[in-house]
Amino acid sequence: MSDRTLGWFIYLLAVLVVAGLVHIVTILALPHVATRDSYARLATIAQTNRFTPLPSPVPGAELLPMQDPAVVRGVCRYDVNNGPVRVRAEIAGLDGLLTLSFHDRRGASFYATTDRGGVRGRIDVVLLTRIQLEALEALDAEDEPPQELRLLAPTREGFVLTGSLALDPGDFDAARGRLSSISCAQENLRRQ
Amino acid sequence: MLNILKSTAAALIGAGLGLYATWSALERDAGFEIVQVGPWRSTPKAAFAAADPYTRAALARNAQVPLSPGEGLMFTADIDETGAPLLTRCDYILTSPIPAARFWTLTPMTSRGALAPTGNDRTGLTSAEIVRDSMGRFEIVASAQLRPGNWLALPTEPGFMLALRLYDTPASSLASSMSVGQLPRLRRGRCI
Repeated sequence: MSDRTLGWFIYLLAVLVVAGLVHIVTILALPHVATRDSYARLATIAQTNRFTPLPSPVPGAELLPMQDPAVVRGVCRYDVNNGPVRVRAEIAGLDGLLTLSFHDRRGASFYATTDRGGVRGRIDVVLLTRIQLEALEALDAEDEPPQELRLLAPTREGFVLTGSLALDPGDFDAARGRLSSISCAQENLRRQ
Repeated sequence: MLNILKSTAAALIGAGLGLYATWSALERDAGFEIVQVGPWRSTPKAAFAAADPYTRAALARNAQVPLSPGEGLMFTADIDETGAPLLTRCDYILTSPIPAARFWTLTPMTSRGALAPTGNDRTGLTSAEIVRDSMGRFEIVASAQLRPGNWLALPTEPGFMLALRLYDTPASSLASSMSVGQLPRLRRGRCI
C-alpha cells in the first residue's frame, strides 16, 4: 500500500468515526433537547396539578399523534416541587373502560392502570418525591395502613394521561362523564 | 495547510453522514424491539424509559405517547397478509380471531399514521359494535365504499394504515410470543 492510499484510508476512517459519533450522540441527546415532545404539547393547554380534558382528536388537528379517536382523553400535568400530587378516580358503579397512565417529563411511562385496578371503588394515587414520602410516612397512623398508592415520581414534572373509551358514536357523552370522575390536586403535607 | 483542509472536510462529511443516519433512522421508525406478526406490528415496550434509544428518540420527536402495557396494546398494519401495501381502492377483509381483551378498537389512518377524514363521522369500529355469528366469529370489511355488515370506512387518499388497539388485555405481556393465528387475518378483496 502506498503512502497516498494509506492517507486516504485514514481520512475515510476519520469520516466514519465522526459519522458514528455524531449519530450516537444525536440519538441519545434527542429526548433531552426535543422542544415539541408530548409534555411540551400538553403544557400548551394543561395547567399543572389540575385535571384538564383534552379536545377530541380530529383529522389535521391532533395534539398528540396516534391517539385512539374512540377514546376521550384528559390530562393531569403534575409538578411535585411544592408538595405531593394526588390523582383520584371514583370508579364505583362506573360502566366502561377508564385508563390512567403515568409518565415522566420525557413521556416514559412508570405506572398504568385501568378501572379494573381500583380498590374499594376508587383509584387513589399520590405522586411524591422521596423526601415527601418520608415526611408522609412519619405522619401515618401505625395501626392504619395508607389507603392510597404512593408512587415516587421519577421526575418532578410529568403527566398523567387518562382515557375513557366511547363504545360507539352515541357513547361519547357518557365517556366524557366517566372522565369527570377523575381529579388531580396538590396535597398539603402539613395538614395531613 | 492541506492537512487541515482535509481534516476539516473529513469532520464535516462525517457530521453530515451522522446526521443523515439519525434522520433516516427516525423516519423509518427504527427500533430494536419491534414485534412483527404477519401484517401486524407492535412495539410493546415503547412506553417505558427502558425502551431502546432509537424508540425513545423517535417518540421525543413525534410526541407520541404509546399505550402502556397496563392499559393495553396497539398493533398497526400497513400491509396485507401477503405483504402488499394497503390501498384505499381495494376492499380488505379482516377476520377473527382477535386476542382476548376487554375491549378493542380498529382505526384507519393515513399511511403516515395521522387521523384521516373518512367521508362520514365514523373514525373506526369498536368491539361493542361488531356483529358476530353464533360461534362469536366476525368479519370486517374495510372499504372506501359503503359495505353491508361490519363496515370500516377507509380514508380517501391512496394508502392507509390500520391500528388495532386491545384494552385491558393479557396480550400486553405476551406480544413478543404471539403467532400469526392469534391475530386477525387481513385479506385483500376486490379492487377498483
